[in-house]
Amino acid sequence: MAQSYKLRLEISRWDPDRSKGWVQGYEIEAGGILRFTDVFRKINEELDPTLAWNSSCEHAQCGTCSVLINGRAMLACELLVENAVAQFGTTRFKISPIGVAPVVRDLVVDLEHAYERVHRSKPYVIKRVENPLKGGEYRVSPRTLDRYVEATRCINCFCCAAVCISSNKGFLGPNAMLASIVRMMDPREGEKKERLKLLYSERGLYRCHTSKGCSHVCPKGIDVAHFLALAKQGDFQGGRPAERR
Amino acid sequence: MGKKLRISSKTECDALIIGAGGAGLRFGVELLEHKPGLKIVAVTKVGHPQKSHTNTAQGGLAAVDPEDPFDDPVYHMFDTWKGSDCSADQNIIKKIVESAWEQVIWLENHGMHFSRNEEGRLSKRTFGGHTVRFGEASAFRAIYEADRTGKGIMDTLWFEALKGGISFLNQSVATELLFKGNRCAGAVIFNQKNGKFVTVLSKVTVLATGGSGQLYRVTTNCRQNTGDGVGLTLRAGLPVMDPEAVQFHPTGIVGPGILASETLRSVGGILRNKDLEPFMERYAPAMKELAPRDLVARAIENEIREGRGVVNPDHKIEHVWIDLRHLSDYVHDVQIPEVSGFFKKFVNLNPKKDLCPVRPSNHYHMGGIPTDEFGRVMADKRRPIDSLFAVGECASASFHGFNRLGTNSLLELITMGKFAGQKALEYLDQGVESPEGKPGEKTFGLFSQFLEANGKESVFTLRRELQSLMTEKVGIYRRASGLEEAMERIRELRERAIHAPIENKSLLMNQELILRWELENLLWLAFATARAALERKESRGAHFREDYPERRDEYHHHTLVRMERFGRLEISSRPIDMSLYNKKGAHWERFGILERKY
Repeated sequence: MAQSYKLRLEISRWDPDRSKGWVQGYEIEAGGILRFTDVFRKINEELDPTLAWNSSCEHAQCGTCSVLINGRAMLACELLVENAVAQFGTTRFKISPIGVAPVVRDLVVDLEHAYERVHRSKPYVIKRVENPLKGGEYRVSPRTLDRYVEATRCINCFCCAAVCISSNKGFLGPNAMLASIVRMMDPREGEKKERLKLLYSERGLYRCHTSKGCSHVCPKGIDVAHFLALAKQGDFQGGRPAERR
Repeated sequence: MGKKLRISSKTECDALIIGAGGAGLRFGVELLEHKPGLKIVAVTKVGHPQKSHTNTAQGGLAAVDPEDPFDDPVYHMFDTWKGSDCSADQNIIKKIVESAWEQVIWLENHGMHFSRNEEGRLSKRTFGGHTVRFGEASAFRAIYEADRTGKGIMDTLWFEALKGGISFLNQSVATELLFKGNRCAGAVIFNQKNGKFVTVLSKVTVLATGGSGQLYRVTTNCRQNTGDGVGLTLRAGLPVMDPEAVQFHPTGIVGPGILASETLRSVGGILRNKDLEPFMERYAPAMKELAPRDLVARAIENEIREGRGVVNPDHKIEHVWIDLRHLSDYVHDVQIPEVSGFFKKFVNLNPKKDLCPVRPSNHYHMGGIPTDEFGRVMADKRRPIDSLFAVGECASASFHGFNRLGTNSLLELITMGKFAGQKALEYLDQGVESPEGKPGEKTFGLFSQFLEANGKESVFTLRRELQSLMTEKVGIYRRASGLEEAMERIRELRERAIHAPIENKSLLMNQELILRWELENLLWLAFATARAALERKESRGAHFREDYPERRDEYHHHTLVRMERFGRLEISSRPIDMSLYNKKGAHWERFGILERKY
């Protein structure tokens, strides 16, 4: 307990005023159950107030602090120092911005740019089916919900998009696909045709090469590739034949 | 340095939303439902609206199902009134509670993924302080989406905002409100991504900037919750209501302060001290772990103060335990997976096998920008400002009084967002106004001071010092001497802050600059909070004075604080609305001044 570690962090920096990038090393001592966001804050407080990094909730619920740590896309707020040392077997960490959008400064990327792809996949209900119970809720059985509820947990941290081997070829990306697949499975969505078009479009599902990197890195543990595979088969009933009507 | 700050452009819109969390976007979406195609600009401090603090709410939102044979809106009204320590406004309570179910249905119909029961209808569960038949038994009134209800609401709202064509200014803050006479004309916005200041003129403006948890050392709030809207309001010469009403959630996870939801207690989690005694039995014999938040928080703090706490060796923070070991795997895996997972992720513990460390953490600000029942910002006791609204945590209507019940904040933000949006429609026929004075003048005064400071102080250190001071002197337990000391020290901190330099002088995504601006907002709010807490020589809800431990009827009113210049404060009061009691309708006698026992 209460062990602390001498860390060496090599952080990719970008100065937009001078359009200049470089890697800066920081040596810092940090307690075992500090998180990487705590470590960044410690750097700001003790070594360098100018290092810019992004976060919001800092408990893995908003997906703002995604960075690449030794090449792996993860949320800085949920990586404890002692776990990082165990996982990577080192106290040296290379940290760089997640490569899904242009860098604004240092580790901060332009999330708005990244989100454009999610926006394109229309995460909302495009057109509601008629509700048999006017003024009440739609009836959705827990079994139906079970088929896609896992996918609704996505926080758009873009870790999956960062590791996806197809992302740079115009693919809207695993999380954007997931948002659309949820609505394909959601019985309240009435506009399935447009959704199918979207999913099977030039920038859609068939760009996916099933590397399954998405499922591997998802901080929420969502099996993204599973949902993409179902959608490729056109199986929006969740691959459980016994429950099909 | 020497860089001349200037307004780089001016835009006009129908509605300006400052803070694009749940409340702000519910406001915008309401406008669009009535008038599609409106030009709405939403400013958010985070990278994308989905990253807002609303997103982190876990437990649920309270709403009485009209088909529920056991529950009734009047019970919900009673619980809210009693929970508020008889300090909420009864007209607001009635209005919000009565529209709760309709708003839940609105969310469901717009695609929110609520948890379902076997019939495919919305699941319900119990929550602290919510009862049926005026306290007789726990009410199944919390509608929820697993333990990520806030995310469900936030997603539904940004989806609808996207669908309706609201345009977003992400990673931006409002630095100055603009007025023409009694009317708000818009605001000056600083966009961090391009380093530019812009003037946005609008027919209606809504403040929905969220809370101020960063005022305290341990908080469940997001990094950006720094009381910006309250700071803005105070500097505009407008009052703030009940700043001293600050809620501490009983169970923050040691040490990041992450919220371990009430859900843990409503599914059967037990609080234990270092002797493993289930101590809540001593404090609230009937409700025990499900008593309202302020009672549970004080109980834990008291256990710690009397030496029955445990010290965490890594964080050196004292805490008690929450025991979840007896709960079934089903409860762990299905009902509380995210929260239960927090202990694994953030402190390397397994709640199925290990006791988990929790302690009270700053959680919610009941006080805020005073509004009427339509969410209109009040210039004083009676007069609303034209076309300026405030909703969500930064506002105070007041639905929560001096203590908020769990699941009532999500309810408040969607209902007040809707009511304010509805009212705002009335202001859309007028054109935009040119504001009086020079837009940007106040902003540039502040920002050039920030950029030109060249002393030896550190913004980070000052913020930490302020947080520790507020935690110790203006926290769960307060007394006159401590509050006076706090005010003195907040003045000193502000003096020192004036000399705190910023190393990077750029305007582009300069987080030092934003931190400095946040510190200013925090200092303003801190001073107002300490001063109002000193004025209130009684204990009421979350405001607990060791030197005045009882509630006193002479303080049965809201505090109004005005502070146009730092440290120069005017205190007045606003009466608490007692219309449910005074109108003598059904059960009116339940809405008098009640003793608060659980």
